[in-house]
Amino acid sequence: MSLLRDYAAGVTQPTLGGEVARFDEVVGLDGSLRTPWKGLAEVAVDLTAADLGRVDEDIARALADDGVTYGRPGERQGAWRLDPMPLVMDAETWTPLEVGLAQRAELLNAVLTDLYGEQKLLRDGVLPPALVLGHPGFTRVMARSSITDPRPLVVSGTDLGRDDRGEWRVLADRTQAPSGLGYAMENRRILSRMMPELYRSAGLHRMEPFFSALRSALLQSATGDLPDPRVVVLSPGSASETAYDQAFIASALGFPLVQGSDLVVRDGWVQMRVFGRLERVDVILRRVDAPWADPLELRGDSQLGVAGLVEATRRGRVRIVNGLGAGVLENPALHAFMPALCEELLGEPLRLASVPTWWCGEPDGLELVLDRLDGSDGFIVRAIDEPTSSMLDLTRDELVARLLAEPHRFVGQERLPLSQAPAWRRTSYGVGEAGPQPVTLRAFTLRYGSAYRPLVGGLVSLVEGDQPGGSKDLWVLKDDPSDPDQGLPDILPMTNVRASMGTVPRVLEDMYWFGRYAERVEDLLRLVLAAHGLAEDFSTRPRSTGGAGLDVMMGAVRRLAGRTHEDLDREFRSVLLDATRRGSVSHGLDGLREALSGVRDQLSGDVWRAFGTTDRAAYSLEVSTHSQQVNESAGRMLGGILSLHGVTASMIRDEGWHMIGVGRALERALQLCQLLAATTTVRRGIDVDREVLNSVLAAAESSVTHRRRYRGYVRPGGVLELLLEDPQNPRSLAFCLAELAEHLAALPASTGSSRPERLVIDLQEALADTDIATLVAIGGVGRPNLEAFLETTIGQLVRLGEAITELHHTSGPAPQLLAGLPLVDSFTPPVTGEVVLRPQP
Amino acid sequence: MKYAVRHTTTYTYDDAVSDSLGVAYLVPRTLPWQQVASYDVTVTPTPVDSSSDEDYYGNRVTYFQVTERHQQLVVDGVSQVESLTPVHTEEALGRAWEPLRPLREPASRGAWQATDFALASPLVEQVPAAHDYAATSLTPGRAIGEAVTDLMHRVHADFEYDKTATTVTSTVGHILEKRAGVCQDFAHLMLACLRSHGLAVRYVSGYLATTPPPGKERVVGADASHAWVEVWLGEDEWLALDPTNDQWAGDRYVTVAWGRDYGDVPPLKGVIFTEAKRSTMRVSVDVAPVPE
Repeated sequence: MSLLRDYAAGVTQPTLGGEVARFDEVVGLDGSLRTPWKGLAEVAVDLTAADLGRVDEDIARALADDGVTYGRPGERQGAWRLDPMPLVMDAETWTPLEVGLAQRAELLNAVLTDLYGEQKLLRDGVLPPALVLGHPGFTRVMARSSITDPRPLVVSGTDLGRDDRGEWRVLADRTQAPSGLGYAMENRRILSRMMPELYRSAGLHRMEPFFSALRSALLQSATGDLPDPRVVVLSPGSASETAYDQAFIASALGFPLVQGSDLVVRDGWVQMRVFGRLERVDVILRRVDAPWADPLELRGDSQLGVAGLVEATRRGRVRIVNGLGAGVLENPALHAFMPALCEELLGEPLRLASVPTWWCGEPDGLELVLDRLDGSDGFIVRAIDEPTSSMLDLTRDELVARLLAEPHRFVGQERLPLSQAPAWRRTSYGVGEAGPQPVTLRAFTLRYGSAYRPLVGGLVSLVEGDQPGGSKDLWVLKDDPSDPDQGLPDILPMTNVRASMGTVPRVLEDMYWFGRYAERVEDLLRLVLAAHGLAEDFSTRPRSTGGAGLDVMMGAVRRLAGRTHEDLDREFRSVLLDATRRGSVSHGLDGLREALSGVRDQLSGDVWRAFGTTDRAAYSLEVSTHSQQVNESAGRMLGGILSLHGVTASMIRDEGWHMIGVGRALERALQLCQLLAATTTVRRGIDVDREVLNSVLAAAESSVTHRRRYRGYVRPGGVLELLLEDPQNPRSLAFCLAELAEHLAALPASTGSSRPERLVIDLQEALADTDIATLVAIGGVGRPNLEAFLETTIGQLVRLGEAITELHHTSGPAPQLLAGLPLVDSFTPPVTGEVVLRPQP
Repeated sequence: MKYAVRHTTTYTYDDAVSDSLGVAYLVPRTLPWQQVASYDVTVTPTPVDSSSDEDYYGNRVTYFQVTERHQQLVVDGVSQVESLTPVHTEEALGRAWEPLRPLREPASRGAWQATDFALASPLVEQVPAAHDYAATSLTPGRAIGEAVTDLMHRVHADFEYDKTATTVTSTVGHILEKRAGVCQDFAHLMLACLRSHGLAVRYVSGYLATTPPPGKERVVGADASHAWVEVWLGEDEWLALDPTNDQWAGDRYVTVAWGRDYGDVPPLKGVIFTEAKRSTMRVSVDVAPVPE
């Protein structure tokens, strides 16, 4: 059965009426496939539902392996979704759109230049002043006559839809900090891999030359004539909804991904904190919205910005892309004025029309909008500076009251029917069907040289209700196979774009926690596996030797993660899966994911594969009630975590790599001491002790070594010798301390006598001064010397962790606001007062 | 009148500050009714970087950065100013207020520039209570001068001067509820009242020269920074009203800067990098008459 034929048959069936008439992207009115699909027919038409089901599963897996996420505002990051069927367009359809996009970007740039310069548009009444000045995107600190530095619009995003006749209409302009290029590139990467035959036969424009052009445009944005300008990507942080997109762009372009706290302004120049020195930054690709970019002159409560950035920008010492203030172009009320603006500024008719829009700040517009409110179907009212959804819950009377109070803040817009395309709907694992779903397109336009060039391609969103749900890749076919990709024959491919990141303290901190969490999760998984092994055999026989051993091992688990369930199976599942439980595997994985998100641009994409594995293992455990699944899933999770070793093994031996080593060795030492303290300091009889020691060796991954060295004769002295003192056992305390010393010595802030280094020496000396015979000595029911040694060591290791943070991760105090001055009237004595500063976070 | 103005702000911290960036509005504007003979803004310790610029509204703004470690920061603004009482014609004051609403009459002369001051601003939100309060003064067809002066009288009579009633971040709603505040609160209240009816009004930051009580010496440094409002009368003419002292601003007022509200033109704001937990601030303002 051919999926496309089924789809075509489905959409050409007469509907019962009441349905919105939409333009179909694939099927013409006569029921035949549209031209671009005809060329693909041979491969595409043969695709069956089973084929697509398989591809859909593969895509989901590949996206999870790459760690591609997207978070709606206020929600946890979720998996990015990509439909297996691309949207295909031929040159004939694409070209007029491309011309329209280029014109639009040129026009928006001209509007931007005028609003922050002469303001002729306002003076001459081409644009009503209230429309511009009443929009929060108008950034007054960037509108000074002293600023002569031109700040062109470099990258813009345009959201488009097609009306029922297939005409393109602009839904929104994205100029503040357009997102989505990274997602578009990732979509292409995945789809070309999953549908290789279709991809090869299509003859479409590859995207890479556009990225090369973007990189080149950013480098050329630097002011002055610098031979080697430094470009950074400024991100609001890994909690941002499009964090993946930002990291992808940074890593694809080879520019470091930084946060506001990584930058400072000194002497009017923007500098990046790189170990003990500052390095000048020339261009900032900005993904932080303008109001948050500088706590000194913009929002004072922002933690995401750089104090002094506005001043540095005004003086032309750093170029921000897009410029602070470009957000004023996102005002939907501008749609109503685009034809007039185009005539005024470019002297041409507007090629690409917007969705019909009326601004309520003009009497005619207000009247029309109030009229249309009654037949509200297909018509929406929205504030110019709030998400569309903000007005949906208002009653008609409330809406009218708001409109009349501040008419200039609102627009009325027709709702486009939007075109439709087949979207894969999964009905169960690997099974599904393709049904029509409305789509929108985000196009991107770049200022390259002095002209605007749209990306030949884009990011297609499947619209579910009013929400975006899933994406599609856009394939624009070449007119002639010999056409250069993106129409950019001369662009040089990017070479050597690996980010040459001087390591900022924040990055080192994330690397450190990468090491610690990876080790923590690994050790806990080994412990769970060892305990679960005992539970499988002995949970029904609590009085047996094994049952007693199980109790002891569960005590070790409790020491790390507490105890929530009496029932063992539920407890194991909770320790593995409950992310809200401190000390659980899932909690540790979240910590690991967060640390890695902060340094996504620094690491091979392979790290995300580990999470793909652990997520799938967790899912298997959730849906299976078999006790054996605990063991199975924990084992697979362990496999995922161990794959991270492979990633670090192939890293450059820089500060970041050493910092991972520090975190890992410290955590391993800590976990080992915790394990021993929970299991070996109390005597429980020879048989139970032997059972426990065997489990401890398994949990500490030293069973094999022990067997070889001690010929299977398990006793406390031998086990402790192997796990504490043996310099050759990579799982021993001695080995971990040696590792710590070595990695610490390689860090730039280390001096040989820094506090962390001194603490490691103390620990090594204390270990050397201790002999196993003393440790195993019995006193009462326990081993008091061993207990004291382990508790002291744990305390020292915790202090070492604090010292490392203090020395290596501190980037100086956080900025705070000089308390606002209370204004005091005349006739009062001089004012003095105590002001309590904000506490350090 | 001629004045020598000195506005000194001293911050003392309980620990060292390694980096301090600031923006100051301390230099009086040059205006048809105000001449500035000289001015200087000094920051101690010496800034590593500073600049002086004209902002979007034409105010003189000083930017500075101090990177020398310090526990005390002093920002000292001094100027020599000659101020006259602005004169308005009967015609300008006698126009009905309704045509002076820039959003309703965008084509009238100067309206495009006045629009910025007729819209809600970050610290002056639209509250229905302010609209209702002002409606009593803004009766249909009433002369602009009379209407806004009436509103000023009512604010002065109905609201108590009380430094404890509000803080720098108090909203207009809060002021209306408390029926009390300080000069910038009264200014913000006037802005909210008049803008809610569509008039263009700007916030003015400056100084008012004080007269010592009879028989007493003038105390140096006992003055303070002050705030009032200006209402658009059409074209490029604005009427300055001081609700705190219930009078039009005259030759005893020194105009430093204007904006949409306090947030556009604070005398001093900044960001500091420090481990310090507390700071002490001392402000001393002196507006000394200079004998002719």
